[in-house]
Amino acid sequence: MLSTKQMARCAGLALAAFVLLTTAPYLSYGAAQEGSSAKGAPSKTASKKRSEGMAPKQFGEEYAGSQTCQTCHEDIYNNYRKSAHTFVETDKRGGWTEHGCESCHGPGAAHAGSADAKEIRNPAKLKPVETDKICLGCHLNTAKHSERIMGGHAKSAVACTTCHSMHAKGPAGLVLRAPADVNAQCSSCHLSAKAQFAKPSHHKVPENSMTCVDCHNPHGSARPATLQTFAANDVGCIKCHTDKRGPFTYEHAPMRQEGCGACHESHGSANPRMLNRHEVRLTCLECHANIPGAGQSQAGVVPPAFHDLRSPRYANCTVCHQKIHGSYSDRNLLR
Amino acid sequence: MKTLCAVFLLPLTVFGQATPAPVEAAASAPAAEVASPVPSSESWISGYMELGYRSRSGIAGSEATYRSIVNLGEGLKLTGTDFTILDPKKRLFERLRIRAYDWGGDPWSTFHIFAEKRGIYKFLGDYRNLTDFNNLPSFADPTLSRGLVLNQQSFDTKRRMGSWALELFNGRMFSPYVMYDRNSSSGRGVSTFRTDGNEFAIPELSRDATDLVRAGVHMTLRRFHLTAEQGASIFRNDMNSYVARGTGINPGNNLNPVLGQPINLSSLLRATGVRGNGPFSRLTATASPVSWLDLFGHYMYANPRNEVNFQQLATGSFVALSQALFYSTGQSILSATSYLPHKSASFGWDLHPGGRFRATQSLWTDRLNSNASALTRDRLALAGNLVVGSTTSLLDTNESRVETNIFVEGPRHITFRAGHRYVWGTAQGSIIPAAGLPGAPYSVLDRQVGLAGITWRPGSRWSLAADAEVGKGSGAWFRTSLYDYQKLRATGNVKLTSSLRLSMDYRKLHNENPYSGAAYRFDVHQEAASINWMPKSERLDVQASYEHCSYNSAISYLQPQILAPALSRYREYCHTISGMVTANLPSLVKGVPMKVLAGGAAVMTAGSRPTTYYQPTARLNVPVTKRVALFGEWRYYGLDQTFYLYEAFRTHILMTGVRFSR
Repeated sequence: MLSTKQMARCAGLALAAFVLLTTAPYLSYGAAQEGSSAKGAPSKTASKKRSEGMAPKQFGEEYAGSQTCQTCHEDIYNNYRKSAHTFVETDKRGGWTEHGCESCHGPGAAHAGSADAKEIRNPAKLKPVETDKICLGCHLNTAKHSERIMGGHAKSAVACTTCHSMHAKGPAGLVLRAPADVNAQCSSCHLSAKAQFAKPSHHKVPENSMTCVDCHNPHGSARPATLQTFAANDVGCIKCHTDKRGPFTYEHAPMRQEGCGACHESHGSANPRMLNRHEVRLTCLECHANIPGAGQSQAGVVPPAFHDLRSPRYANCTVCHQKIHGSYSDRNLLR
Repeated sequence: MKTLCAVFLLPLTVFGQATPAPVEAAASAPAAEVASPVPSSESWISGYMELGYRSRSGIAGSEATYRSIVNLGEGLKLTGTDFTILDPKKRLFERLRIRAYDWGGDPWSTFHIFAEKRGIYKFLGDYRNLTDFNNLPSFADPTLSRGLVLNQQSFDTKRRMGSWALELFNGRMFSPYVMYDRNSSSGRGVSTFRTDGNEFAIPELSRDATDLVRAGVHMTLRRFHLTAEQGASIFRNDMNSYVARGTGINPGNNLNPVLGQPINLSSLLRATGVRGNGPFSRLTATASPVSWLDLFGHYMYANPRNEVNFQQLATGSFVALSQALFYSTGQSILSATSYLPHKSASFGWDLHPGGRFRATQSLWTDRLNSNASALTRDRLALAGNLVVGSTTSLLDTNESRVETNIFVEGPRHITFRAGHRYVWGTAQGSIIPAAGLPGAPYSVLDRQVGLAGITWRPGSRWSLAADAEVGKGSGAWFRTSLYDYQKLRATGNVKLTSSLRLSMDYRKLHNENPYSGAAYRFDVHQEAASINWMPKSERLDVQASYEHCSYNSAISYLQPQILAPALSRYREYCHTISGMVTANLPSLVKGVPMKVLAGGAAVMTAGSRPTTYYQPTARLNVPVTKRVALFGEWRYYGLDQTFYLYEAFRTHILMTGVRFSR
């Protein structure tokens, strides 16, 4: 027997499916990644394509064709043909058959005739927003970019071409994949993060056992610092630290509200366990401060009087409160 | 060892294979079919494999610290292999990529495979084998004054993580996918058995595993995209401690008698078993209904659930201070169930009508409701009393955020941004029946933030960006959370000459809690600069970076034992330098240079925990043939901490080996 909530969810899904099925025929076909550039495509041809379904695109005299481009730009063309973008050249559904270069660079006949760089569009030299418009013409409607506007890169106008090489970086593809290369690329801008990883207690990024994108989504995320998520909506840290996921019988609220960053410097720290304070007890006492009247922000219990901080027994709270991330069996996180 | 041999030998087979001749076949095909991604002059396989033997000079100082931070061992290693295979005939795949690093007993070993045949399938596999060792006595050692250097919260575990994903019909309108993740860990550690008046370091065996399966479908149209995913996780966690009777009396951390009687532990049997599962769903949609508007939406729901069985039987000499009773045997049993329904949703739009104006707005909300109930039975022998109880634990957190940004394109590739963010929420936590000293069960989050930014990216030569946030709070989750704060970040990239590039990064955060009694002030600023110099001759490549950081934090608290005010003060001033010089020198093999690399990193911090950590390295690559090179590598690791001298270590690591490349 379905509960009311489950029924509501099923009804929602059914409604969504109905809307999709009924509206789909009105949406122009062509998988988003299959080469329908927003800019540069001849508009008449595009509308014609919509009306004629799969009819091949007709190119005017202003288009030169990729073979012409290859004549002068052989290395770039060869790299491009090894990249994932090569399908633009051959896939008829995208409408750019044998004109893959011009799907991004725009009509090239004038440039081919004059060899003048000003006669061709170079996305790398456009304003970031214009460069992105070319890329997102195909790539916008994908799961990867669904939280793009909440990410720092979009807000700071970091163009797609900052990280992606459209003609492919060697056989690797459009973006660097080897962990060392990925980390080097991120740290070329995020210099402070790179420095934090040089501290003794750190995630194994300098060792290239991890990459920045293991934790961060460079295309944007609703989470602070564009953190990745795990199992739908848990913070990405849980992907590796699965034993900290819970749910615990007795939760430690900062884990759920502030995340791991409440106590840890996630890139690296001179303090053990990447703590953000040099002594464990200070990390704890800053919240469990025993001071009333600090507005509405004083969550959590206060330590009782037998915690004599002058005794080494109480110098590190985690000696006793060992299940500090949450306990399955003790309300005071003691076991 | 067999696995290691297999890992070593399998990639070697690619060197034994003759290069196929796809070119002729491709040449005879029609023009549209010539689509060979491999130009005729290039190899169908490219990559490298590096094998070596590592030796260590011996560790001067604390081996436990060395293992906690570096942990590189000796022996035969596969330091790395990375191959990309392009099949010009696209039979089973168009592109196959295999990477593996640090196999042969290293503390972090990784393997990655990617295969794709466009429109048919995409397969992604990732496996990591990590050693998680941590034994830093400064973390939790209450017995240092007695000469015992032992971290009572140390562990030595192995974690294995595998993630496998298969997507079918990738790039087409409907693209279903299935994924399987497994994350397991097992190992031992030191934990604590606590009783009134004393605590005892005890061994603990721990084992956990999470299996996660999910499947979904991407529906991709030109103006619309939908991803629907359903998944479930299965979780197991067992933690066991066993101290056998007859292995001696454990005197614990407190040698002083309590009420005239020593408190000690004779034997312990403690077992915690957790079994759980958690379904989750995800719905993601994007749409571009008109050319000037993009819409984004997310809905995520998860409901993990755990069941717990806990048993503990301890014998020794114990005291129950609240009852002033001594007893010799204590038994505890607990059975609990916990749920964590968690809903998240976001919605946003990007309005770009053209011209110089653009606006975005996003709304995000996260609702988490943890609830658990536990039944407990505690029996103290000799005292003869049995205490049966039940508790209910709740934690409800609702947090929402709405953010609006307006972008205006200025002249000369300058973009201005102004915006506003409002963050609000409530949290409520309680354990019923209440016990001990009361806390504040209810907290409110309320923060208004002004946003501003400017970017100047005129091309590849210059790039400058700055972002600022000014926040004003009237409620936050915790005393140290963001309240009244100012955040600034500026980055710049300048290509000074065709061979010299300079990058800069500046960050600042100032946060204050205005409420009386907190007196919280937090300041951090980081300044970093980096240069990359690569002359046209390509004989030299120099990368160097420097970072200075300053952390200043002060917040008041009351010392629990005397309720006297005290200040938690944290200071850290750090200097970090890192760099690498790569020199390409002439060699005996024509066209393949001999490479010398030298560099590393060094961190020097002053303040609350003065630390120096040096990691210099040097490497020599000597080509023997065009595809084979010998290498030698030296690394040094040295850690010093002024207040924790017993945690210092230094060691030299040497490695020699051979590198095959194609």
